[in-house]
Amino acid sequence: METLWLVVLGTLTVGYFALAGFDYGTGLLLPFRRREIALQRMNPFFLGNEVWLVAAIGVLFAAFPRLEGELLSGAHSTFTLVLAGLVLFMAAVQLRLWWWLVFMGALMVSVGWGLFLAHLLHAPWPVAFVMPVLFAVHGWVFQARRWKVFPVTALLCALPIPLAFSSIDVTGLMAHNDTLGLLAWVAIPIIPLVVLVQWSIVAISSR
Amino acid sequence: MSAVDLARLQFALTTSFHFLFVLLTLGLVTLLVIMQTRFTITGAPVHERMTRFWGRIYVINYALGIVTGIVMEFQFGLNWSGLATYAGDVFGAPLAMETLIAFFLESTFLGLWIFGWGRLNRWVHLSLLYLTALTAFASAFWIMAANGFLQHPVGYRVDGNVLRLDDFSALLSNPTFTSALMHVIFASITVGGVFMTGISAYHFIKRTPEVDFFRRSLRLGVVTTALATPSLIGAGFAQFPVIAQYQPHKTEAAPWIGAPLGFMIIIGMTLTMVSWLTLPLLIKDAVIRMRFPLYLMVIGIPLPFVAAIFGWLFREIGRQPWLIYGLLRTEDAVSHVDASQILLSLIVFTSLFVVLAVTDWALIARAVRRGPDVTPAPVSPLVVTL
Repeated sequence: METLWLVVLGTLTVGYFALAGFDYGTGLLLPFRRREIALQRMNPFFLGNEVWLVAAIGVLFAAFPRLEGELLSGAHSTFTLVLAGLVLFMAAVQLRLWWWLVFMGALMVSVGWGLFLAHLLHAPWPVAFVMPVLFAVHGWVFQARRWKVFPVTALLCALPIPLAFSSIDVTGLMAHNDTLGLLAWVAIPIIPLVVLVQWSIVAISSR
Repeated sequence: MSAVDLARLQFALTTSFHFLFVLLTLGLVTLLVIMQTRFTITGAPVHERMTRFWGRIYVINYALGIVTGIVMEFQFGLNWSGLATYAGDVFGAPLAMETLIAFFLESTFLGLWIFGWGRLNRWVHLSLLYLTALTAFASAFWIMAANGFLQHPVGYRVDGNVLRLDDFSALLSNPTFTSALMHVIFASITVGGVFMTGISAYHFIKRTPEVDFFRRSLRLGVVTTALATPSLIGAGFAQFPVIAQYQPHKTEAAPWIGAPLGFMIIIGMTLTMVSWLTLPLLIKDAVIRMRFPLYLMVIGIPLPFVAAIFGWLFREIGRQPWLIYGLLRTEDAVSHVDASQILLSLIVFTSLFVVLAVTDWALIARAVRRGPDVTPAPVSPLVVTL
């Protein structure tokens, strides 16, 4: 049961970070690209990653209740930065008044996740810049349509935080099997369904 | 202010902002289901245009509402880690159900609905909207189940110093959940009805050339409000015996707690009365020709939102000093973080939420002013295809 839930949480987190490169990466590259075209190309992916984040935090709460609070409140200001960046990014992309707000939002989210990575690894703060660099590279690969290296950069964005996460010992932090068993019936069929529908969104919008 | 006070203030503000978005989402999706079903069956262009116009407003509101929801969800872990530690096994179950079965699926179905416009078989496209609406109401279902547990904990057993899930079905038959769920559902449908009425009235005030379009919208709004409000009030009053049984001291939680409750009831009664008085005036469009009721309809748009916030204040403040009634005190659940950190996030989030609410309002106003026909420049990236 423990392995199963680590896999579920891992899948959701990987899903979020793999998709995050599309829009945060695009946002980070805005000063250097043709903005209208770049933003338009991002449309079908917009908000696609955030749903994975929401699902991941939900699973973290229910399956790892004694880890969730410690993990989030232990990095309170870092998450304030991540969330502030998220809010700014999503509002700015939709409002489309000032492109530099989109850039600022993307920068705040990605630096925030970088700080969280540094926090998990007990590494010095400059490690934080790993995430914005990875997102930007992935965003460039996506915008420039270099599909051959695309899976590589997607994985590079997706892996650091779930890997750093795996250093945490979860014994005693998980929910009781009664809760885990109930939720397993829900979580396992839903993930492939969402992947299928999200893939259809991209397929249909590029037709 | 102490860390607890700041964390409570932050939770109240985040929830209130989030709830404003949620109400309109649920209300509009219900009306969209009606409009798109009529379009799919009859094939009449006016129903398609209505689905598009109101769909655009719905999508704008949904996309900005998601952001407030993400902050809501993180807040449990950031400021209230004691809740997960103590009751995560039980309270977390409906919460995770909401994120997985409801939200995760809802936004994905909605995405396919948006980008599938004109590209999918119209029955398939309609069924996507039904799935979106169904999962949207499933969200309300699970969130209210989680909240019902806080109001009156059931289905748990104590194991050392934590709670364990004992009987999941007890959470779903919890009287503080079932009675409140219906109230929230009808409140959201009322919001949708009043909103649609008000926006259509605005267009008549502006002497719109789209008479048929907004006449149909206004009628749908008024009829929806008239049908929803009696059930809304019924479900509201049905909660008093439940409160008397499980939270007898609710009205003593704060000296002023009766005020929001009273205002909510007055607004509910007013909306019921006015919508029923308007019904006969729909005959031969009397209400549009009289013109002055149109102004009242526009002014009325914020009323159900205000009432809903008042209702929440009563429900949540009335639970104090408990976070989980009788089991966990609010002050014992707050995270071990500095008050200064909570203050920082409170200031940051509150200002950003004000920005979000203004953005939502600005984008909706832009979409409303442009009217049913799409101009080449889309109002928001998600509504390009609509």
